Amino acid sequence: MRAVVAEDLFLLRDGLVRLLGAHDFTIAAAVGDAPALLRALVDERPDVAIVDVRLPPTFTDDGLRASLEARRTVPGLPVLVLSQYVEQLYARELLADRAGGVGYLLKDRVFNDDQFVDAIRTVAGGGTVMDSEVVTKLLGRRAREAPLARLSAREREVLGLMAEGRSNSAIAQRLFVTEKAVSKHSTSIFTKLDLAPSDDDNRRVLAVLAFLNG
Amino acid sequence: MMLQMQDLAVPILVVGAVAAVVRAGRAEAAKSSRGRLRELAWPGALLLLAVFVLSTVYDRGGNDVLDWWQLLIPLAAAVIIAARPGWVRRIVPWGLVGYGLAGFVVLGNYAVGDNGTTYGLYTTGDWHAEEELILLLAYLFLLLGLWLLWRAARLAEDSQPEQRRRLLGRLTELQPRAQLAALLLLPLVIAIAAFLAPAIRWKAGSLVIALSLGGAIAAVRRRPELAAKVAAVGIVGFGVLGLALVAGANPGGFDYARIGQVAVGNLYGPVLLVNDKAKALAAVESLGLLAVGGWLVPQLFPQVRRLLGMAPESELLSRVRQLTESRADAVDTASADLRRLERDLHDGAQARLVALGMSLRAAERLIPTSPEAAIALVAEARETSARALIELRELVRGVLPPVLADRGLADAVRALALDSPLTVETDIDLPGRVPAPVETACYFAVAELLTNAAKHSGSRDARIVMSHASGELRIEVTDFGLGGADPSAGSGLTGVERRLATFDGILVVSSPIGGPTIVVMEVPCALSLPKTSSC
Repeated sequence: MRAVVAEDLFLLRDGLVRLLGAHDFTIAAAVGDAPALLRALVDERPDVAIVDVRLPPTFTDDGLRASLEARRTVPGLPVLVLSQYVEQLYARELLADRAGGVGYLLKDRVFNDDQFVDAIRTVAGGGTVMDSEVVTKLLGRRAREAPLARLSAREREVLGLMAEGRSNSAIAQRLFVTEKAVSKHSTSIFTKLDLAPSDDDNRRVLAVLAFLNG
Repeated sequence: MMLQMQDLAVPILVVGAVAAVVRAGRAEAAKSSRGRLRELAWPGALLLLAVFVLSTVYDRGGNDVLDWWQLLIPLAAAVIIAARPGWVRRIVPWGLVGYGLAGFVVLGNYAVGDNGTTYGLYTTGDWHAEEELILLLAYLFLLLGLWLLWRAARLAEDSQPEQRRRLLGRLTELQPRAQLAALLLLPLVIAIAAFLAPAIRWKAGSLVIALSLGGAIAAVRRRPELAAKVAAVGIVGFGVLGLALVAGANPGGFDYARIGQVAVGNLYGPVLLVNDKAKALAAVESLGLLAVGGWLVPQLFPQVRRLLGMAPESELLSRVRQLTESRADAVDTASADLRRLERDLHDGAQARLVALGMSLRAAERLIPTSPEAAIALVAEARETSARALIELRELVRGVLPPVLADRGLADAVRALALDSPLTVETDIDLPGRVPAPVETACYFAVAELLTNAAKHSGSRDARIVMSHASGELRIEVTDFGLGGADPSAGSGLTGVERRLATFDGILVVSSPIGGPTIVVMEVPCALSLPKTSSC
């Protein structure tokens, strides 16, 4: 799997490259600023990009904006955005094109390399991975609002884990239920959110979107 | 012509001054050298007054012998200074006023021109110039006394507001400079009355002077604005009149010569008895009056101020006061923030990094002997570093939220709305960025208001409307809860108000019982054009 890494701090970039190398990723490019990232994404068309939100030249959200622009040129280009902070606002912007293949995680999540690599693979496969911090906040507040109010507590929990990018089997493990029960829950979620039957991945993305947009 | 200090008065003056220095040295209040100087000024003024009084009662008719009792005057002054320095402050102003008024009496009643002393002057027979000097001294003493009384009354503000109001009436409501102008009405009225009195006849003239002085005092206490305006215009008028007389004109067709010869304290009488010295004095006087008038008029007449393009002093003064306060608040807030930051770093991230180092060192030791324990320690170290990161993140959010730095106020407020436990509707029209300090203050203000609404209002919904128009950023935060928020009770709103005050911003709360609670914030600031995206 070919990956592009964008991170301006050398230590972190080097760490990411090594971590990815250890998990059988090929590094197509490792860049340190937004214009270079945009070029690498459009020219290399990697299977996945791991991007720091804050990059030169302005050291604000250049990484995010470059990723969004690249996805306008190459729709669905899988991008996992890393940040020291997570903002729902940025999560929504990433999800806005409804194409899937986006992730948004705290940098801390790199500490758990297995989960982190799983998240990269989910994004590369067109899935959606939201940091649990975003999900927790949303669960706290959106629960009583339509359309999420229609979901049962258990279904909201499943939806939250779905938003975190976990597979049905991972969710089953986490909630101590069978995978069958999880897929029953998710079907019920899709129905309650009026998501027409289509391919499962896309419905998951849309469910997460519905979740984020309240 | 010369000022003659009486021979005995000089040693007494020295004794008194030494006593005053000793007293001043002991005085607790006078710590600085300037304070000591001020302490000295009072006994000095009293002694000077005593010497002038002495010279007035002494030596009428060229007799150089002092009566023994006359020595009591400077002696009494020195004793009072040494024994009761507090009295000096009370005696001196009244003494000055009294002696000033006495000057007008001296001018009216004594036949000056003898080779003697009058009113602290040693005459040389050049009586027109002397008369002019007596007049100047009389006004000087009167004004100085009035000014000291006025100042003492102003200083009594805190300790005895009742007494102050009784003394000064409505005068206290005016700005200091306007108060002074109103007080100047008193000598002005004396001057005008004295100008007219001789024309009427001296006896009736005294009545005129007394009545007009009483009227002037009433005017100063009850209609101080009017008194101040009349005084300012009158002072300018006298200045112009004086210059005209010096130039030889005869404005108004008065018989100035006759008035001048009667010479009951009118300002320019002697001028007309052609005398170069008196003329020069009158010119100086007139210019002084014009200067004082020019200083007062713009203060009292906004029209003149506008004409001259000057900012009104009252506004400047209140602006200075307001800036002083908001600056102090800003400094306090900044230093409190820094202290909090230091404490949080010290107790949080710093402590965790120390723990991390210790765990790693312990793990290092354990690797050869018990690798399992080492692995457990390393896992613990990783936990610790994760917690340190979380704490640092919270800390940075409290200092400057990244989304604010990245996107500016509009998106940062949208992010706040998203993060709030309330359902917050936003209507934001901000096509650019406002200055960074304003952004930060407004961001934390909105955050505080949303937190308040979530905690206390009982509402589930809120609305934020934000826009920038005519040089002002306006933010309106509404919740549809219980209402009854009291801005003076909670420190939260007060804190927000103070932080906004640093930018001349204001905060208005409307929160009737039953809601809704609407908080409007307005901060004057420029809106810069949006930055064009670099990628």
